[in-house]
Amino acid sequence: MRLPRLKLERVLVLTGRDAVKISAASIIVAFVIFSIFLLLEGADAIEAYRNIFSFAFNPRLGLVTTIHRSMFLLLVTLAFILPLKTGFWNVGVQGQFYLGTVGAFAVAYALGNLPAGVLIPLMMVAASLFGAGYGAIAGFLKEKWGVNEVVLTIMLNNIAFWLIYCLVIGGPWMGISESESRSLPASAMAPTIGKIPFTVPLAIALSVIFYFLLTKSSIGYQIRCYGSNPSAAKYAGMNPLKLLIFVTAIGGAIAGLSAYHMWAGDPSFGRIPRPEGYMGIGDFTFWGIIVGLVCLLNPIAAIPASIFIGSLREGGAILVRRLGLTFGLDNVFVGILFLTFVAFQFFHRYKIIRVKKRR
Amino acid sequence: MSGLLEGVRRGETVLEARGITKRFPGGVIANDHIDFEVKAGEVHAVLGENGAGKTTLMNILFGILQPDEGEIYIRGRRVEFKSPLDAIKLGIGMVHQHRKLIPAHTVLENIILGHPRTEKIPNMKRAEGEVKELCRKYGFEIDLNARVWQLSAGEQQLVEILKALYRGAKLLIFDEPTSVLTPLETEEFLKSLRTMATSELAIIPFITHKLPEVLRVSDRITILRRGKVVKRLKREEATMEALAEYMVGREVLFRVKKPEVKMGEEVLRVENLSALSDRGILALKGVSFSIREGEIFGIAGVSGNGQHELAEVLAGLRKAEGGRIVFQGRDITRASVLERLKMGIGYIPPERVEASIGGFSLVENIAMNLWYEEEFSKRGLLNYRKIREYAEKVISEFDVVAPSVEAKAAHLSGGNLQKLILARIIPRTMRLLIANLPTHGLDVSATEFVRNELMACKKEGMGILLISEDLDEVLQMSDRIAPIYEGRFVSIVPAEKARKESIGAMMAGAPSEEP
Amino acid sequence: MWPFIARCLETMTIFLFAALGELWNQRSGVLNVGIEGVMLLGAASGFVTAIHSGSLALGFIAGIIVGGILGLLHGLLSITLKVDQVISGMGIWIFAMGFATWWADKYSGPLPASLSSPKIGGMLSPLFFLALTLVFIVWFILYRTSLGLKIRSVGEDPSVAEATGINVTRIRYLSVIVGGLLGGLSGAFLILSYLRVWSHIPTSGMGWIALALVFFSMWKPFILLGGALLFGTIWQFGVSPEVIFPGGLGIPLGVYRMLPFIATIIVLMIILSPKFRRKWGLAKPAALGLPYVKE
Repeated sequence: MRLPRLKLERVLVLTGRDAVKISAASIIVAFVIFSIFLLLEGADAIEAYRNIFSFAFNPRLGLVTTIHRSMFLLLVTLAFILPLKTGFWNVGVQGQFYLGTVGAFAVAYALGNLPAGVLIPLMMVAASLFGAGYGAIAGFLKEKWGVNEVVLTIMLNNIAFWLIYCLVIGGPWMGISESESRSLPASAMAPTIGKIPFTVPLAIALSVIFYFLLTKSSIGYQIRCYGSNPSAAKYAGMNPLKLLIFVTAIGGAIAGLSAYHMWAGDPSFGRIPRPEGYMGIGDFTFWGIIVGLVCLLNPIAAIPASIFIGSLREGGAILVRRLGLTFGLDNVFVGILFLTFVAFQFFHRYKIIRVKKRR
Repeated sequence: MSGLLEGVRRGETVLEARGITKRFPGGVIANDHIDFEVKAGEVHAVLGENGAGKTTLMNILFGILQPDEGEIYIRGRRVEFKSPLDAIKLGIGMVHQHRKLIPAHTVLENIILGHPRTEKIPNMKRAEGEVKELCRKYGFEIDLNARVWQLSAGEQQLVEILKALYRGAKLLIFDEPTSVLTPLETEEFLKSLRTMATSELAIIPFITHKLPEVLRVSDRITILRRGKVVKRLKREEATMEALAEYMVGREVLFRVKKPEVKMGEEVLRVENLSALSDRGILALKGVSFSIREGEIFGIAGVSGNGQHELAEVLAGLRKAEGGRIVFQGRDITRASVLERLKMGIGYIPPERVEASIGGFSLVENIAMNLWYEEEFSKRGLLNYRKIREYAEKVISEFDVVAPSVEAKAAHLSGGNLQKLILARIIPRTMRLLIANLPTHGLDVSATEFVRNELMACKKEGMGILLISEDLDEVLQMSDRIAPIYEGRFVSIVPAEKARKESIGAMMAGAPSEEP
Repeated sequence: MWPFIARCLETMTIFLFAALGELWNQRSGVLNVGIEGVMLLGAASGFVTAIHSGSLALGFIAGIIVGGILGLLHGLLSITLKVDQVISGMGIWIFAMGFATWWADKYSGPLPASLSSPKIGGMLSPLFFLALTLVFIVWFILYRTSLGLKIRSVGEDPSVAEATGINVTRIRYLSVIVGGLLGGLSGAFLILSYLRVWSHIPTSGMGWIALALVFFSMWKPFILLGGALLFGTIWQFGVSPEVIFPGGLGIPLGVYRMLPFIATIIVLMIILSPKFRRKWGLAKPAALGLPYVKE
């Protein structure tokens, strides 16, 4: 049997359906590679996955945390998606999250006496404003002066990390344990329904709002125009600076909001943990990048994707405990997924077709 | 087999192509059994419209494409080119229409780049000597240490010629050699063509227009139409009309019907307008003019003389460094693009791909000029139903051919894409239309459509600023013509008084003839 | 004071290795934003190898090789698969973060004293001089050899280069692998000579600063040398300010650690300010970041 002759052909415009197929394929391949990994670690892949998901979704064990972390992931994904629609790589979600932390905690410490009904909205507003400001700086500098946003925002991330460090370690927010902050006042913690904090439905609502914003609103149209073809957008009278600041500010605001959700939405936190701890959550924000990309920047698709990836993280912890595997495997999975997704980007531009026999 | 062309003598047949045939998917026969040959010491021009098969033949002769049928012989020996490098090795060189040079490198670096004889650590002094020798032989003058981005179009073309000659080319193929040259540079070029031809070089210019100039220096002419050779002529036998007729196959309408229109109020007045180029140098140096309702004001000039910057300043895309723009009595010098759009000023950009969004549907492209209008956007939300209705109307008015209005713009042909852009802009334009290279790269029927549209706008009382690189187009369509050179209007000439030769001269820097 | 200066020079060496490699591949038109990841995995593999093999030299070799592999991977993704170079670089970075953490964090702690690294005067690693030599070598190759002319041409306009017979793909692969090798060397040096202790993500953002340094240097090796010296000093000052300011002047440690990042932003803004922007734009390899598609 002769192998069919294949050749490459350029893809003019990618259909939505094909894009979804490509994303799905990359996830599957990532799982395959990860399974090989698990095998090398001496674990049974099926056993491992069973453990992950049964733990993550068990109401008595990991479900609450899974939902909490997934919604955090959803928020940081949204924070990444919106700016990327204009071509802006918001790798600064981490820094905006840190600034949101600063904003929320500053308000909580200063105005801790206020009743929850006033304090919590104020915290959320402060968190959003701090995050928005941090994001807008990058958006402004990119549009006005063409500063490379990846390098700029990574610098801002690092600065923000050390800012929290100053405030907590040996600083004004230091708690009883010298490496952590003081606890938040009880009134600052997010009210829950069952064990689910109100920020969970809020995150989902935001996701839906984003979707309608992008597809139905005038500014959404402008964002998509500019993201597809900046020159055309200028000819159409759109203002790139306004758009960039809008998306980076909103993105930053969501990232800032995610800080409230993370620290005040999980009773096991309620404070800023030691540097390794808050840096761990800070690194978690990078997962938003891969979720956003795999979902093809679709805010609605980000919801199930976040839950799925979030469950991997929660469930991944069980692999360490029960199966004695090395800590950090969930990070490895995300890394593999990123690489396979990147590799599959190839199919966004080319398709492999069979060469028809010539008469 | 390299060095096949060494020691060739004048009059020898250098290259012969027999039965060249090339088919493309979709049933297009780009070259249909073409026979062609050129001798050393001869200039043999190949003429043809866009789509006649010129480019395909040229690419086959240079090894960029391989023919489906037919053979190529060099000095009687059968050869096959798998890539341009094979052609280069055999002594064929190509001088491209759009320079294939590296702007950041020096002239010398560009010339020696990739030359097989260059050592690991190149001996620049030796190379310089060799290139200088070439310059002396053909009478070329150029600064070898200048950076290419600093050079003019004519000088850059010279670098390409030197590059080919340095690689040992004995046969030079030229792709539209005079299309980006000023009339003065064209004269220089033609002189050097004749000098090169008096030696043993063989020269093949492939051209579409600017017939008169190149034909003056060609010994023989071959005309292509629809993939076939339709005529072969010697220089003595060629006249302009006959050539054009063979090229397009019918009596060519050199004249565009210009409607009689009574001109109205002044729509636009520009006073001493200046602007910088992208590189930060002053490109527009204080132009002043005005346009009335129903008038077409044409700007004639080789690209790069400030007309592009002028168009962008008028559209609001570029800052004015000095001067004023007055539209219907209002000073709009500082107005944003959006404000100008709302005032009804339309701008047709020169690059279709930049002016439209390939990944968007036709409807969403039309919306580019609707999103800011209250009629289509209320309280921040777009009314897609209304937008679609409107889009369907203008798309059919402007004869845009596509499977549906939801089809993606990327699938449109060049002509249809331009019609889409016109459909988007013209109905929203009230009194002033700025058309920047509106027929660039379009085939004959699309070009006709665009010109008719512009005339219709003129009839409706719009003031039109027409920027075109096609001197004939400017001369025939405009009511007044301003040749632009190095950022200034040399003169402003009414159409009745305009003579092509004097406009052409002014475009190249000759001073105005008026006292 | 001398120990402080030695440390500044060692930090400069870390930046220099990574940035020289990146300068090389950027000159050929390939942008690798994942240098931080390459350094990280170079450090991880160097550390783990050194501990297991008991040989510092093997650790260095492992780091270099791993760096080269990552460079090759980046090449595969961005040159052959024509994936967006920024995405590919970020993918490598994020993958490296996860992988290095999983692989090496369990070895957190210092290198055993038996694995000593030779230092001149007990303070300065001899690899510093290797870095200086590399600056000269890179400059010579890029500006005085025909290979360098080819590399620079590929970075300016690959289609023109290809038309003159240069194999663009080969040149880019070569460059991206060289970039990876040097990035891996930087990481190995960081962990085996400079830090000698493994902790979570020991690169702490140095790779990103190295990337910025390449932009600052306007792709010229000697300017890069100056930039690496400046930022090496700023970084080291940020780590141990008490050498210059006794008691740190009461300013919290975190503020000092922020300095290199703030400095980077300031320089980024300076080179893109209207005054410098034109010069910078002209120096930039015109095809940087764009995939090359053979027609």
